[in-house]
Amino acid sequence: MAFTATRAAWWTPAVLVAAAALTPGDAAALEPMGGGADPGAAGSERGLVVLAKKALPLPLNGQQVVDNAAMIVENGKVVRVVPRSEVDLKELAKTHEILDRSDDWLSPGLIDLHSHVAGASFFTNDLNDMVYLTNPGIRAWTSVVPENSDFLTGSAAGVTSVLYIPGSGTNIGGQGVLLKTGFGTYERMEIRNPGSLKLAQAGNPESYLSGVGRSFMNWNTRNTLQRGIAYAKGWLEYEKNGGDKPRVDPMWGAFRGLFDKKVQISAHTQIYQVVLMTVKMVKEELGLDVYIDHGSFDGWRAAPEAEKAGVPAILGPRAISNSINVEYRPGLFIVNDNDGAIFGMAAKYQEQGHTMIGFNTDAPVIPQEALPLQASMGVRYGLNNDHLEHLRGLTIVPATAAGIADRVGSLEPGKDADFILSSGDPTDPRSMIHFTFQEGEKVYDARDERRY
Amino acid sequence: MKQLQSIEGPGAPAGLAGRISFLGLASSVLLLGASAISLTGPALASYSPPTPAAFQDEEDDSEDAEEGKKEEEEDDKFLALVGGEIHTGLGGVLRNATLLAKNGKIHSFGYDVDVPEGAEVVDLGGMRVYPGLIAVSSSGLFGGGGDLANSVDPYSQNMTLALAAGITTAVNGNTVAKLKRGHVKGLVVKEDAFESLSYSNGNPQGQLKVNENFQRASEYLREYRAYEEEKRSNKDAKEPSRKGVDDKSVSILRGEIRPRFAANSRTDLMEIAELAQRFGFRPIVEGAREGWTIADHLGRAGVTAIVTPRTRRGKDERQVAEGGSSIENAAKLYQHGVPVVVVPASNGISLGGIVGQDLLHLPIEAGFAIRGGLPEQAALESITLEAARVLGVDYRIGSIEVGKDADLIVTDGDLLHYQTFVQWAIVDGEIVYDKQEEMFFAHIRPRPESALAPEKTVDAGEEGAIDPEGEEEDGDGDDDDEDEDEDEDSEDK
Repeated sequence: MAFTATRAAWWTPAVLVAAAALTPGDAAALEPMGGGADPGAAGSERGLVVLAKKALPLPLNGQQVVDNAAMIVENGKVVRVVPRSEVDLKELAKTHEILDRSDDWLSPGLIDLHSHVAGASFFTNDLNDMVYLTNPGIRAWTSVVPENSDFLTGSAAGVTSVLYIPGSGTNIGGQGVLLKTGFGTYERMEIRNPGSLKLAQAGNPESYLSGVGRSFMNWNTRNTLQRGIAYAKGWLEYEKNGGDKPRVDPMWGAFRGLFDKKVQISAHTQIYQVVLMTVKMVKEELGLDVYIDHGSFDGWRAAPEAEKAGVPAILGPRAISNSINVEYRPGLFIVNDNDGAIFGMAAKYQEQGHTMIGFNTDAPVIPQEALPLQASMGVRYGLNNDHLEHLRGLTIVPATAAGIADRVGSLEPGKDADFILSSGDPTDPRSMIHFTFQEGEKVYDARDERRY
Repeated sequence: MKQLQSIEGPGAPAGLAGRISFLGLASSVLLLGASAISLTGPALASYSPPTPAAFQDEEDDSEDAEEGKKEEEEDDKFLALVGGEIHTGLGGVLRNATLLAKNGKIHSFGYDVDVPEGAEVVDLGGMRVYPGLIAVSSSGLFGGGGDLANSVDPYSQNMTLALAAGITTAVNGNTVAKLKRGHVKGLVVKEDAFESLSYSNGNPQGQLKVNENFQRASEYLREYRAYEEEKRSNKDAKEPSRKGVDDKSVSILRGEIRPRFAANSRTDLMEIAELAQRFGFRPIVEGAREGWTIADHLGRAGVTAIVTPRTRRGKDERQVAEGGSSIENAAKLYQHGVPVVVVPASNGISLGGIVGQDLLHLPIEAGFAIRGGLPEQAALESITLEAARVLGVDYRIGSIEVGKDADLIVTDGDLLHYQTFVQWAIVDGEIVYDKQEEMFFAHIRPRPESALAPEKTVDAGEEGAIDPEGEEEDGDGDDDDEDEDEDEDSEDK
């Protein structure tokens, strides 16, 4: 598949060598196991036409809603979403299967950029190894277990893609991996590896060792990032101009992708002081692509700077705050000037003019299937969703933040046919998700068993 | 109100024993209803609701109470909700209707309601009226030391927040009480709501004991009935001995109190159903996670289920049978005739930031039952009328019916929609929560101008000519002035 080739181009030699045995580059090896049977899926001769009451293509710019829609899917990709009146169903039926869900809403699959549940268990130390205060070499993909119960339930809630990342016990926990939830093998799950470099700026890493405080953590983070950048520059220089071959160092391998802006830093950054550092230090000073992940507390104060610098804000699991000058836990002060009012994080970011607001779960802190609820709660607590901001915050916004909007996050021509069919607004707790499709393949059918 | 105190605290067992001496459920309900006012004999026959006037004067003696009755006639207190969409909670919806509460009770509602002079009038501008919600399990809403008749914090933040969530009645410990904000007395609706029993497969000895207790109680009741028969012809008939008879089990078998079991596994649920059918009582099961696998059994056994629809737990992999949680649990139980009551995962109020799983989001949890297939009406009842029934207080609360307590909420939309906020909460005909007057949610989608805070009507003759500055007619001059100041402030912003 094409993405394998582009992915290989920026993979560090070290990662590539290590992964070679598990990730063969040829398309044949990526052929779905027993797959290809579903009309519309890759390898199927037949296409799929989905009829829906309301389709939400949700592109970054452009038409967000199509009423009485027909979506044509071929070879695992979206061909187009149009009003039903614009297609000749009789003609299409010769080459396509028609899935008539005329009472349902059709939306892109949902994306969670902060999840810890792709492994066996969050509590078995399979992804939060706190060896050093920064561990850029640790890779989350080494502990993925396909089709675990969290993914099965998440998939039934419409969650089709997640960023599986190490925990926040250290400033840099390691490299996350972007996965699709609905597939049974790692090969098919992987969207991109590394999916991100996980940075945790404050809130948890303080407990690593006594004496580790805000200033030191900022220094240590900057020190690590700058060394990584130097490593990437060294290799670039060698590849361009030759000279002495640099040492291969798996500790710094991920920085090749980061430096080329093909990988982002997902920053667990919640309070004003460190959100400002996310924007000023990581993005502006060091020039790395970064997004606010696990955003909460009073981080919204830095929203104007984040917006200006192009740092998306993915918020959760905390959706509200009413704290006034409280010490949330030793060393973590939150200063909110809000007179005790309870406000939504998303509403505050929006009020400050931020336009790229998304939602995450931090599963298992809240369950994987609660991702859509994060968005509806954002609306409940004040997010204006006149332009479907809540749904965009689960789809195109996280896809754009994570740099995978060329494949997922909306139902635009050429993108993966990852979509859900629901009885109404997929973020409404009352809405039933009837089907979840990934790459044109049905991965959840509530008629067999309603999992959520 | 004084008498209530005598049941509580150290007097509680006496209260229980006293109730046992009454025969049948009906008299027990009467007793409980009356207990809110008086326990003296005659009061049992003539039950009259507590009046706000009585609450205001906590130190009332019985002499003063009579005076209070006189005052009541002169000083009826009316609250009129005008132009609302009244959702009775029984399925009926009345659009653009008026609801009139008199002295804390629902006096009338519909289209031909005369709003009396001096009534407090709230123009709802099309907003919805629902019965107040009921949380059958709660913690930390009332402050105080747990004895709600004597120790509550009437201004506790959590009480305000629970009202903001639409909850007007909650069970604290084993006591049903109203969130009567601003009052320290008169909150208790019913004490000893349940009899908690443990009956689990994991504790066979305990199961044996429960069985024995019911067996013995059942025999005792049989003997007692025979004794009553015999007593008619034989004055020397000997009353059966109560020795070794468990009082609780007797109460349960007499239908005076319902037993509550915490049970989740299919096995435990099945055994509770069998036990209930063997001895003839209606159990309440809290949890009921695997209830969907044997919903028909539970329905036949008269079980009421208290469920948390969002619960997720995998099945025991060593079992072949179906198991674990299911989002369809509430729906399947309901389909098989099991009344369903919904509670959220956490029975407290949490401001830690993670939302959607505490009492602040009780209607959201009911929404998850709908996701699993529960009809919308049943979902509404699961947090109103069905909850009132399981507590045995449905004769007073849980739906909008004439004569019931005026415990109401006004919302800006469908109660079960995630965006909906409670605008006003009303307990016993008194507005105890107003979204725009509290700091918590006033800033979120502020109420439109057309439905501002309640204004006092002045005089039938001066309709439409209310002078906001007018001090003559202004009974609560200070309050109104404050309102006006706030309005001005908001305009400045």
